[in-house]
Order: sequence, then C-alpha cells, then structure tokens
Amino acid sequence: MLALRNRLQKGLEAKLDEIYINGTMEHHLPNNLNMSFAFVEGESLLMGINDIAVSSGSACTSATLEPSYVLKALGVGEDLAHTSIRFGLGRFNTEEEVDYVVNRMYEVVSRLRELSPLYEMAKEGIDVSKMQWNVTSAEH
Amino acid sequence: MAYSDKVIEHYNHPRNVGSLPKEDPNVGTGLVGAPECGDVMKLQMKINPDTRVIEEAKFKTFGCGSAIASSSLATEWVKGKTVEEALAIKNTDIVRELSLPPVKIHCSVLAEDAIKAAIGDWKKKRGDEAEAK
Repeated sequence: MLALRNRLQKGLEAKLDEIYINGTMEHHLPNNLNMSFAFVEGESLLMGINDIAVSSGSACTSATLEPSYVLKALGVGEDLAHTSIRFGLGRFNTEEEVDYVVNRMYEVVSRLRELSPLYEMAKEGIDVSKMQWNVTSAEH
Repeated sequence: MAYSDKVIEHYNHPRNVGSLPKEDPNVGTGLVGAPECGDVMKLQMKINPDTRVIEEAKFKTFGCGSAIASSSLATEWVKGKTVEEALAIKNTDIVRELSLPPVKIHCSVLAEDAIKAAIGDWKKKRGDEAEAK
C-alpha cells in the first residue's frame, strides 16, 4: 500500500511542477495522498478525470464558497486551498492503475493550466498569492 | 453534481481560450474573482474603435466546469456584438443557456462581471473619447 502511494506521489512529482503534498509525510495514513495542484481548481480537475474516483479538497458543492477547513488547519494557503485532490488507495489497486492515474493527471492538469489565468500570471513572474483581488460585491 | 451537456461541451472544447496583448489600445481586459473563492476569470476583447464592435474575445479561467463554461460562452456571445449589446448580457441568460444549478449561479454572475470589467477597461483606456461618442 505504502509502495503504491509512494509510486503515485513520485510519479506525479516527476511529471508536474508546482504540486504540493498537504499534511506531513511523517504522520500520514499509508493509503492516503492529498495534493494541491497549483493554478488548477479542484472541481474542474475532477471533471477531467471522470473515469477515476477521487475527491476534491474544496467544499464547492456546499452552499458556501469556503475551502476545506481541514486543509486550512493543515496550513494550506488560501490560493492553494481550491486546488487540492484527495487520492484514496485500496488494497485492490494495482501499479498499472497508479501509472494510469499519473498519466491522466498529467494530461488534465497540463490542459487546465493552459486555461488558467493564474498559471499565465505565475509564468510572467507575478506572485499570485500576494495579489490584491477585485472580488465583486455581488458574490457575497 | 449534475452538469448539463452544454457545460460539459464547453469544458471539453472551450472556445476562444488565450490572451490578447494588454498594451493594445483597442483591447479591454477584465480580471474578476479571487483564488480563495475558487473562481478567477480573465476576459479580453478587441474592440473596433469606430464601429464599437467586439471583433475578438479571449478568456482564461481558474474555476469549476460551470465557471469555465460560463466564461467560454461569454466570449462566444460578445464576438460580433457592439459594446452596448454586450453590456446588455445578463447572468440569467447564461444560467438559462447552460442550465446552471443554484449553487453555480455565481459563476454566471462572475462571467457578466468579467464582460463589464473588460469593456470598462477599454473605455478607461480611451479616456473621455469613448464617453463622448
């Protein structure tokens, strides 16, 4: 199980930059991996991998636009809070399945980063987490 | 989450993804939303200064499928319209077209705001000249 989880983590880290593990690796369930994929929103990620069962770390489906309070407690920054995906591994998962997930994640994250204004800004050298955002009053 | 076929279609084949040169005096840029809210839309338009027709529109969005679809649809709708016609687009039109559920209505509001922000930016760049027309 741990080997599979490590395979997933190493596979993703090899293919994608700006991805972060949420929570400490020391006290971590061996079947769980929660990662943030910067510049890509979690729910849109889920739509792209609809043949894989994972969950998004954001609370988009509830009436509030607030991100997961657990992630917040783990110290995940606000700009990364909506970019998190939780991978849960079971004892019937295989190496092939892990490799498949790695490749699909790479495809979808790359595609969505091309669509992302935050990725564009980051590539231009703008620190997205330090920006002042123009949130319209209509939203609140 | 029940996504309508149209939302899925826009998600899989978004229209007009990309950027226009911000420095171009005929380009208006609207950037709305915030990462902490999970939705950021950048909508740009190239507007003919004489006819006030929106000749080109591009978008980039950080957000859920409904947000991507709303902004993709917005670029489709504004192209070929005059500035005044584009300003008349209401978020409710987007909700209806994409069959957005109540929890996703804010995505359509953001898209409407993005259209207005882009046009506002263009007007500002032109100064009083545009207002006088």
